Amino acid sequence: MKWVKQEFLKKWIWGLRKYSSEKKSMSLMERKKAIKVSADLAMACTRNNRTRWSRALIANASKDGSSKILTEHLLSSSLPIRKSFNSTRMRSCRNILRRNRAVRRPKDRVVASFIAKKLVQKRTRRLKSLLPGGEFMDDVSLVDETLDYIQSLRAQVEVMRCLVTASELMILSPS
Amino acid sequence: MSTRRSRGSTRISDDQIIELVSKLRQLVPEIRNRRSDKVSASKVLQETCNYIRSLHREVSDLSERLSQLLTTIDADSAEAGIIRSLLNQ
Repeated sequence: MKWVKQEFLKKWIWGLRKYSSEKKSMSLMERKKAIKVSADLAMACTRNNRTRWSRALIANASKDGSSKILTEHLLSSSLPIRKSFNSTRMRSCRNILRRNRAVRRPKDRVVASFIAKKLVQKRTRRLKSLLPGGEFMDDVSLVDETLDYIQSLRAQVEVMRCLVTASELMILSPS
Repeated sequence: MSTRRSRGSTRISDDQIIELVSKLRQLVPEIRNRRSDKVSASKVLQETCNYIRSLHREVSDLSERLSQLLTTIDADSAEAGIIRSLLNQ
């Protein structure tokens, strides 16, 4: 985990530098977005294409106009990515999901377990919406991807917290 | 109730829930503090979603704080120089 944090920090700072050199003066919101996108991309890059959420995050950032340049900069120094995330394989997964959505109900169901099942389905959908690329994931990979994503997010937050609180201490305290 | 692990099924099987619970136990604070082993699937999913959302909020909040810092630092101060060398090159 320590290695992941080091890699993240390096890539994040690198991304921030690229952003600063591209745009000399930014508004507060622009800068905030730059910082956040740099951080998200940096963490996704540490996964080295080995997880779907990280590939989806990078693919989405490449499509977004304001993040596009940064994504290309960051990726030119890393391993090559699969540029076509919306491949035919993903499309057929989506079609399978669509077909399976029409579930045949058993004839004698207990209302309580039916409600519980519906609740699990509803919350599974919510979880998928929170994960980058989640809507294309089957339930088998969803579990592993969720765990990896949470671990990465935690590492990202810990490093960001360190940098921000240290900077605030340095700048906001009277010297 | 079928628990087939076919790709593309929209239902999570019981085995996967058990696996998810045991792994999430270490990661998600809300679940770790529960003593009962019988955590329901929907509760696990709910706490997981809440946790991810709180992490997202924190990333956003930290980004905003850093943005405000960089915007308000005095251009000539020593601190500005340090931050600049770190971030601007």
